[in-house]
Amino acid sequence: MKINSLSREDALRSLASSEHGLSGAEAARRLSENGPNEIRETRRTPLGMKFLKQFTHFLALLLWCGAGLSFLSDCINPGGNMSTLGFAIIGVIVINAVFTFIQEYRAEKALETLKKLLPFYVQVVRGGKDKKVHAYEIVPGDMIRLSEGDRIPADARLIESCVLRVNNSSLTGESEPLLRNHAPSQGELLESPNIVFAGTTVTSGSCKALVFATGMATEIGRIAHLTSAVESGLSPLQKEIIRTTRIIAFLATVIGFIFFVIGHFMGRVFWENFIFAIGVIVALVPEGMLPTVTLALAIASQRMAKRKALIKNLTSVETLGCVTVICTDKTGTLTQNNMAASRIWADSKMVETKDFRPQTSDMFMKIALVCNNARFTDSEYQGDPTEIALLKLAGKSIGDLGTERIAEIPFDPDRKRMTTVNRIGDREYIFTKGAMESIMPACSGFLLHGMKQRMDETFRKQAMAAYHELMDMGLRVLAFAYREHEMQRARDNHPENDVLKSDPTSPQSIETDLVFAGLIGLEDPPRPEVPAAIRKCHEAGIRVIMITGDGARTAAAIGREIGLIKGEPVVIEGAEFTTLDDRSLREKLSAKEVIFARMTPKHKMRVVSVLKEDGERVAVTGDGVNDAPALKKADIGIAMGISGTDVAKEASDMILLDDNFATIINAVEEGRAVFENIRKFIAYFFTSNVAELVPYITYVIFPVPLPLTIMQVLAIDLGTDLLPGLALGAEKPTKELMTLHPRSPQEKLLNAKILALVFLCLGPIEAAAGLFGFFHLLKQGGWQWGAIFPSGDILYMQATTACLTGIVIAQIANVFACRSSSESVFSMGFFTNRLIFAGIAFELALQAFIVYHPWGNTIFSTHPLSLATWLVLIPFAFVLFFADETRKAVARQTQLRRSSMSTLSR
Amino acid sequence: MYRKILAAVNEHLNSEVAARYALTLASHLDAKLYICFVARKDMSQQARRAAEDAMKKLFHDAMEKNIRAESIAEIGDPVAEIGKIVRHEGISLVFASTRREDTERRFFTGTIARNLSLKLPCSVALVRVVHSGRVHPGKILVPLKERIDHVTERAYFTAALARTFKSKVYVFHAPKKVTRFFHGEIHLTPEDWEQRMPQDISRFTEQLEQQEIEHENRLLPGGTGKNITIEAFAKRHDLIIMGASERRLFSSLLRGNPVEYVLRETPCDLIILTPRHED
Repeated sequence: MKINSLSREDALRSLASSEHGLSGAEAARRLSENGPNEIRETRRTPLGMKFLKQFTHFLALLLWCGAGLSFLSDCINPGGNMSTLGFAIIGVIVINAVFTFIQEYRAEKALETLKKLLPFYVQVVRGGKDKKVHAYEIVPGDMIRLSEGDRIPADARLIESCVLRVNNSSLTGESEPLLRNHAPSQGELLESPNIVFAGTTVTSGSCKALVFATGMATEIGRIAHLTSAVESGLSPLQKEIIRTTRIIAFLATVIGFIFFVIGHFMGRVFWENFIFAIGVIVALVPEGMLPTVTLALAIASQRMAKRKALIKNLTSVETLGCVTVICTDKTGTLTQNNMAASRIWADSKMVETKDFRPQTSDMFMKIALVCNNARFTDSEYQGDPTEIALLKLAGKSIGDLGTERIAEIPFDPDRKRMTTVNRIGDREYIFTKGAMESIMPACSGFLLHGMKQRMDETFRKQAMAAYHELMDMGLRVLAFAYREHEMQRARDNHPENDVLKSDPTSPQSIETDLVFAGLIGLEDPPRPEVPAAIRKCHEAGIRVIMITGDGARTAAAIGREIGLIKGEPVVIEGAEFTTLDDRSLREKLSAKEVIFARMTPKHKMRVVSVLKEDGERVAVTGDGVNDAPALKKADIGIAMGISGTDVAKEASDMILLDDNFATIINAVEEGRAVFENIRKFIAYFFTSNVAELVPYITYVIFPVPLPLTIMQVLAIDLGTDLLPGLALGAEKPTKELMTLHPRSPQEKLLNAKILALVFLCLGPIEAAAGLFGFFHLLKQGGWQWGAIFPSGDILYMQATTACLTGIVIAQIANVFACRSSSESVFSMGFFTNRLIFAGIAFELALQAFIVYHPWGNTIFSTHPLSLATWLVLIPFAFVLFFADETRKAVARQTQLRRSSMSTLSR
Repeated sequence: MYRKILAAVNEHLNSEVAARYALTLASHLDAKLYICFVARKDMSQQARRAAEDAMKKLFHDAMEKNIRAESIAEIGDPVAEIGKIVRHEGISLVFASTRREDTERRFFTGTIARNLSLKLPCSVALVRVVHSGRVHPGKILVPLKERIDHVTERAYFTAALARTFKSKVYVFHAPKKVTRFFHGEIHLTPEDWEQRMPQDISRFTEQLEQQEIEHENRLLPGGTGKNITIEAFAKRHDLIIMGASERRLFSSLLRGNPVEYVLRETPCDLIILTPRHED
């Protein structure tokens, strides 16, 4: 039992209130009991704390230890330049934290926009007197007065009402004003006609209402709570990055420790081993990975914006790529939201609109014209798209009638019809239009060639068949009926019979004994790009679930037209949906083709939740205030840029600037490319990490000086590698990307294939380049095997510089190698990614700075090299490039052989 | 189990609404109802009158429903006085209301409601009234943790309320997410989670089944307090029944306290039960 079902007296009693409202003292007491009537945010981690968390994850802790030990080493054993390393490591931690934070950050402003729906002041009855108070002072039990234009401050039960109409669009998405009344009613609170809700507005009429819920206990508070508390969880990319960094950190620690122990047994001093261990860790950790991932996501989001998809938080870019289900609205997203009358069923005949020839006296068209709130003013149509379509049809057919509207019972989703009382000439009529199931039972006759006939079963069946036929064409069908009404004069003589003055809570009293005039099928044509986009989705293994307020037949017909469904889909209607438990809903959702019909936005979050619990990665579209929780819950919440409310936009991860479904698919394509690109630059970074590690292993195993200093390792990871890596992140999506199924959660960013390529092919060649440069210089300088250099020795510095240069030169070839996993760079087009050349130019410029500029020499302990040294190292780049091209050719051949074998076996 | 139920009333509307739960339950269980008001010495005349009015209204309603009822008014410390009544009358269940203000300080400085639940020798149901629009709860959410004591009494209390209001019970458990160091979070389907249903919860639902209470189980991994409120908001539950917190102050400061969280954020009325009847 809810307050809507209580009598007015019981409602007042249940809240210990009266017609005179609460006393001031009681209101104050209740305010302290219940708190202010306001939308407040749920407690969540402050932004500062979120930022600090970036400094405490496993990899960061490891690096903190490294930095701490470096400073300790500098204190105990000064002169080793270890404090510089300590600062460099802290720099790495800060850079990584900042970039990860940028990735995860999203402005939470949805609640701010929700708060704006509540009024500042409200008229309240306190102690029998009317008062104006701040809306936040309203308490349960308060009696409020509302009139036209007022925003409603709290959820309240109507006690008195005078032709009250409210706009509940912020809660239901329906923009039509709803008639409310104060009579007790059964059923759900949200659908009850005697309840008004906070955040909605009074469009006409007035009322006195008893407040029963304030603040977060209201319906709008519910949306606010869900919008602020619901989280979609970590994105697949975030999970992968955490996993990858943990593996790397663990490997780095273990390898560092193993070589520390080996060094100890080989008789090296503690500090040498210690520097070595830190070097191994720094060499293995791809410091540039997180900044590059963030920048690559930012570049991809820019690309998406050009394709009309505005990304609000960066990780969503990649999440789009692994979406497995898209739950989409129909009207405006799949269709153009441009209604037009397509077919007419009148006089027991079905005709196309263009062939319809009405007469001026045609009652059918009169209803369509007059029982209509759309207007043609200032050379444009204004109003609901369905009504505009009817106005266009009827206006074109019979022109202006010069009628006077006497009364109106607005459209109500529960009654599913709208009625007006009009005077045309010297006669008065009741005109009704609405859903077939709502109009037909109210009719006692029908119109045939302008003559009124008595309703019979044959006609009913005929009309129902026509109705189904129209729906099967994917049309939205409206039925039309009328009746001549008693004139004002007669009503004045017998006021007791005046239905317009009788109980306004029962509009059924005038919507009876109607004459059925006909049916109009309205078409909202699909967007032209949608069928191709749906096809692309199917090829890409993405399921598309349509969620619409339309009837099942219409939804199914549209689904067929756009290629969304091919067989017999599972259609779940709103009424059935509410009775299904989660297990049954899950079973239904597992079908290949699913359509939700007669749904309201409040159901969306449940659909998303059940799909997510089943392991799907879900994108959902939405535009209304009450779509916000579903948008937050989904992996990707997609708001409509044109028709969407501010709340929906704030709660979403992506905004479609053109409200077009096809844009989602373009964004998915970009998202998939991002993952592939991240993989490419991870392979690129890891190759240099292997090349950085090998000199350390050489140092610990053989009696040679350290070929590469830790600062030089950082120069590669955070300097020369950065822009070429980023250029790999800007590779365009390949054609086959949208023919593959969505990435499985089991598919890792760092997999065995990449590790094998990096550790067995690319890395060793690069390491050879570095070591060759190092030993070549030493040999030229007359170095003897086993000799150790004093600190600041020029030959040693030149040798390490050659090692660094060798790796950098090989990385130039590597950036081309990493552009694809099996396709030849020559077939891809050498110049198709021009950013790579910009990246290489930057890489070379930075390397020149490190090698030739005095500052670069000081920071990185380098020394200028001769041109001859560069020339000696360049062939390694060619070796790496052609070795990888050979590998790719072999891979392509193997793949070709496998596919021809499988074709043969089939 | 509950032959004598006491409803503690004060000057606040919430206590009257809380007492109505006691009244309806007493009617259903054919228990004797004690409507009790203890006036503090510093209480204003106006507040005292408000409480007495509430007591009168409740007594009148009890009489109308043919409930054996008794009104008791005392002056003094509410906890001590109610304690005396409970011992003297052999009360088995006490209903008291807890207010919004309490949620801010109850854990740190203690409140009457919290002291009642800690110090009374009988079971205590603390009621937080949030939504006056849902007069009779149709959907009751019962969050349970992995290990619970007094399973029989909890099930009995829930079943009694569900039967009284003809409500459906939604047994809810928020287990910890399954994670591995290198793998991160492991996704389990609802079927997987159901197989991991803790034994105590299974016992609880078995008892509901025995009492023929319509119920549904739901597991949602993640933060307990947050998940309970999200579930209640999303599915529009009308009442939450949960056990009292057993976490100490330090542990609550460190790990958070789901009961306190739900008390603050609940979208519907909440009953926090401290059971005392042994299984």
